[in-house]
Amino acid sequence: MKVFFYNLGYFILEAFRTIRFHPLSNLFSFLGTGFILFLFGLVLTGWAVGDELVGALEQEAQVSAYFADQVGEAGAKQIITKMKTLDGVWEARYVTAGEAYAKNRELLGNEAEILRLFDNNPFEAFVEIKIDLNKMDQVLSQISSMKGIEYVRDNRDILEKLKGIVDAIKLLGGVIAAAVGITTLVIISHMIRQGIYHNKEQINTLRLLGAPNSFIAFPFVMAGLLLTLLGGGLAAALIIVMMNQGYQSIGEYIMFLPLPPAQELCRFIVAIILGISAALGLVGSLFGVSSIQKEG
Amino acid sequence: MIEANDVALTYSDGTKALKNVNLKIGPGELVYITGHSGSGKTSLLKLLMGIEFPSSGKLTVLGQRMKKGNDRKLRKLRRKIGPVFQEFKLIERRTALENVMIGMRILGIPPRKMKQEAMEALKKVGLEHKLHTPVEHLSWGEAQRVAIARAVVRKPALLIADEPTGNLDHNNALNILHILNSFRDEKTAVIITTHATHLIEGQDATYIRVQEGEITIEQRRVAG
Ligand SMILES: Nc1ncnc2c1ncn2[C@@H]1O[C@H](COP(=O)(O)OP(=O)(O)OP(=O)(O)O)[C@@H](O)[C@H]1O
Ligand SMILES: [Mg+2]
Repeated sequence: MKVFFYNLGYFILEAFRTIRFHPLSNLFSFLGTGFILFLFGLVLTGWAVGDELVGALEQEAQVSAYFADQVGEAGAKQIITKMKTLDGVWEARYVTAGEAYAKNRELLGNEAEILRLFDNNPFEAFVEIKIDLNKMDQVLSQISSMKGIEYVRDNRDILEKLKGIVDAIKLLGGVIAAAVGITTLVIISHMIRQGIYHNKEQINTLRLLGAPNSFIAFPFVMAGLLLTLLGGGLAAALIIVMMNQGYQSIGEYIMFLPLPPAQELCRFIVAIILGISAALGLVGSLFGVSSIQKEG
Repeated sequence: MIEANDVALTYSDGTKALKNVNLKIGPGELVYITGHSGSGKTSLLKLLMGIEFPSSGKLTVLGQRMKKGNDRKLRKLRRKIGPVFQEFKLIERRTALENVMIGMRILGIPPRKMKQEAMEALKKVGLEHKLHTPVEHLSWGEAQRVAIARAVVRKPALLIADEPTGNLDHNNALNILHILNSFRDEKTAVIITTHATHLIEGQDATYIRVQEGEITIEQRRVAG
C-alpha cells in the first residue's frame, strides 16, 4: 500500500509513457473504443425510447366492452362494479350513449355532419376498462365471459406489435452490448500485451530488483483504463452532440412518440457509457497484464 | 548469510557451469570472486539472486532456501539484495536519477527521501552533473556507475556486483571499489567479481577463485 501511494506519480507517468510509446496504434485503440461505445450509446438510446413508448402505451392500454341488448343502465352499473374487482383491471368507467355520441362527434370534427343523418343516437353505452397489459389475456377472457357482456374490443394487435419491436430492440441491444464488451476487451488487452512485450527488458529488470507483479502491472492497467475512459469520453461527447442536434428533430418528426426527457436520458446514457468503459478498461487491462505473470 | 553445500548448476543445454560449490559467507564479509572468462563467476551470482537455481545441492541465501517455485519469497529476498549486473540492466529512456530511484521505489521509500538519497548516491559515484541525462546518452563507464548507485542506494543486506570495475579507468575503478567496500558493515556482506586482480590484492577480504566451475577459497581473513 505504502509502495502504491509513494509511487502514484511514477505510475501515472509510466502509464502515459506506455501510451505515448505507440502513439498511432493507441490513437486507433482510442478511436475504436470511442466509436464502439458510441454505438452502444445509440442502442441504449433506442432502448430507453422504446421502453418509454411501451410504458406509455401500457398506461393507456384500454379495452371497450359492450353490453348485451337486454342489459339496462342499472344492470350495466352492476356489471361494472363486479368488473372492478377483477385482478388486472385498473379502472372501469361507464360511458353513456350520450357521452359516446359527443366523443365521436369530436373525433369526426368536420365530418360530424354525417351524424345528422341519423334520427337516433347510433352509439351505445359501453364500459371503458383500463387494464394491466401483463395480465391482458386473463383479463380479456374473464371480461368477455361475464354475463351481460356481448363483445369486447381491444387493441391487442397494435400492442403486441409494439412489444415485439421493443423486444427486438432489447435483443439487439444485448447483442451489441456483448459485442462492445468483447471488442473493447480485446482492443485493450491487446494494447496492454503489446506494451508489456515492448517493455520486456524493463519488466525483467524490475523483477530482478524484487518488484512484485502488482508494481509492474499497475502502470499498464492505468494506461488501459485511461485509454478506455478516453474512448468512453469520446462516445459520451458524441452522444451529447447527437442528443442536442438530433433528438429534438426526431421529436418533431414523429410527434406522437412520447420521448423521455432529453436531459435526463442524456445524463443517464453518459453515466452508463463512462461506467461501462471504466469497467471494460479495468477488466481488459487485467486480462492484458496476466501475460506478465506467465513469463516467470 | 550465504551457505552452499555441494551446489552444482547445469544449464538446460547441458553446460556444467558450477560443480561442488561449498561456501559460507557471513555478515560483514567482503568477498572477491576472480576467474577466467567463462569460468562461472556470473553463474554463481545468479544462484545467489535466484535467477538460476541449483541443479543439485543445497543453497541458502539470507535465510531463504533457494529453489524454484516460491516467487513471493524470492521477490522479498531480492529486495534485500543490491545487484550490479555485468550488463547493467539500466532502464532506457529514463534519466540516471530515475534509474537509481527505481530500485528504491519497490522498497516503498517516501518520495522526498528517495530523491535526496538517489542524488547523494549519484554524487558519490561522481555523476552529480548527469542526474537528468537519459542513460542511453551516458558513456559505458558512466552507465556502470549509475548501476552501482542503484544497487548501493537500496542499503541492501547483500551487495552483489558483477564486474563493477570492468569498464572503468584505474582511478574510477579504485573509487568504485572503495564505495562498494564502504557498504560492508556488521550487517552487509559485499560480493564482487572482477578481473582486476591488481586492484584487490592484500585486503581484509575473502578471495574466491573460480576455475571451470569449481571454486577454491584462496585466502580468507574474516573481518573482525
Ligand atoms: N543461460 C546459459 N545457458 C547455457 N550456458 C550458459 C548460460 N549462461 C552461461 N552459460 C555458460 O556457463 C559458463 C559460465 O558462464 P558465466 O557467465 O558464469 O562466466 P563468467 O565467469 O561470468 O565469465 P565472464 O568473466 O566472461 O563474465 C560459460 O561457459 C557460459 O557459456
Ligand atoms: Mg560474468
